[in-house]
Amino acid sequence: MRLLLLAVVAAPILAFWPQGPDEWSEHVRKACESSRFGIRLAAAKRVADGGDAAVTAIQAYEKANGRNALPSSLVDAIADTLAYSNATNELLKGWATDTEFYWRSSAMRGLALRAGALAHPPAVVSPAAGEPEGKPAPAFDDASLKSGEFFDPYVNDPAWLMRTHARFGSALVGRPIAGQSTEADPRALVRLTRLLLDEGQLPPLQPLIEALADQRTFLGIPWGQRLGQEANKALHNWLAKDYPEVTGGDRDKSTAAIMAAAQANSGQQLTQPKEQVATDNGIVGGFEIASCKFGDQFVQWTADGTVFFGIDGARTTKLPADKWQELLQQRTAITLDGNAGVVVCDKLQLVLVDTGMRVDVAPESLPNPASEWLKRLTQTLEEANETERAANLRRGLGQFEGR
Amino acid sequence: MLRLPSTLLLLLTTVFGHPATEPEPVGFPVLAGFAYKEGMTLPKEVTDLDEKVVQIRGFMRREFAGSGPVNSFMLINDACGCMGTPMMNEIVFCTLPDGVTMEVLTGVVTVTGKFYVGEQKEDGDVILIYAMDADTVTIA
Repeated sequence: MRLLLLAVVAAPILAFWPQGPDEWSEHVRKACESSRFGIRLAAAKRVADGGDAAVTAIQAYEKANGRNALPSSLVDAIADTLAYSNATNELLKGWATDTEFYWRSSAMRGLALRAGALAHPPAVVSPAAGEPEGKPAPAFDDASLKSGEFFDPYVNDPAWLMRTHARFGSALVGRPIAGQSTEADPRALVRLTRLLLDEGQLPPLQPLIEALADQRTFLGIPWGQRLGQEANKALHNWLAKDYPEVTGGDRDKSTAAIMAAAQANSGQQLTQPKEQVATDNGIVGGFEIASCKFGDQFVQWTADGTVFFGIDGARTTKLPADKWQELLQQRTAITLDGNAGVVVCDKLQLVLVDTGMRVDVAPESLPNPASEWLKRLTQTLEEANETERAANLRRGLGQFEGR
Repeated sequence: MLRLPSTLLLLLTTVFGHPATEPEPVGFPVLAGFAYKEGMTLPKEVTDLDEKVVQIRGFMRREFAGSGPVNSFMLINDACGCMGTPMMNEIVFCTLPDGVTMEVLTGVVTVTGKFYVGEQKEDGDVILIYAMDADTVTIA
């Protein structure tokens, strides 16, 4: 009787389940090449849920088209699937340790989740008892993940998502945080807290509370609000029925209510955040380097030659007036008519406030005059004793120089 | 194919536009404020927006990496596309009027048009839950 029931339930599922390698290849191709984003997402999920069976087709696609032809949606789907298996684990390790791969941080998140499952295998839950089924136990073992040793080389990676996911893995297996530098990127603080909450851990919640009052911007991009939304969603999910009734219009009151609920549920002493306001008043230009390889860099400047570094503009330097005036007069060199090159992951965004210019530049696509101007700016920073920052900028900007 | 700069798209409202009702401002905190699962009943605050003329701020992103003008695009809440793959309820699939294309703008944009809410499937897979007939796209 049970077998009959199983056959009835399984038949429709099996009808859609790929039967051979050709069908997996087709799903991988769709996941990578469909012109419709939704279809790519659905195909990626199907491939990810296939576990080891789909790995050969993924590797064949990679070999034929290059690793960076794999979209982030496929890597994210494999990272997040609960089909924990040996071949996918090895696949993720290959991707996470490849510094040239755009989506290595997504692969690292997948490894962190697997490390957590290996270190703390889920208890067997009986569906018959009416309880929901938990995450499955991994069908493989991996000592370096289980101990957290695998994550050590990446916990201070220059790319914020990469180091955050490595720290996430370390935290899930309980590895000591010695050797981790102090995190200065507000995005990383919020993301790590959110990831840990989602996995049933209780990290210090203050970073999420701070984010609720964050209104900071970088060259007009409201990144603080985005952080606040991420923090609010994380707290909403975690507090569930205890999330307070909030109405729009009074942010302070809403923040206080959410904080009180978080404090009551966590037992942590939390403090009401001070609103952080937009930080780009007086800014006349700047650029952002978004790089999965070298890490993100943020630079903006005022008319008097004060240069701000970091997404939060927390670090500043003042350039010598004569050198700065010369640069300022030549700034039309970085004026571009439109976006340059095809951006897939890494990009350089150039902004000049007075002319309203905001363009994205793909690697190897920056016109020579703009490249030369940015080199002169970097040189001027170096002469102003910003040696380390200048070196980082050179490294980051180098990949955008036109070929 | 009619190709126009973004500012001129504003004028299209008079040609292609929907009734001159004041668009309702909608934010991603509402659209993306719940954990979406396929087949779920969407929150009332979201379904109430179906077929309304709304205004949403976000970032334009191509459905597929490339260059040149587009007739359709995704509106998302992530400036750089580097925060991870957006969830289904973090994307508004926008379509410009037939025959109209525009460059993908960088920075924050405001898109106005008729909004549609509900799972749309293709070959059994959900391919979107939010869609919009975009009448205007302006730099915010």
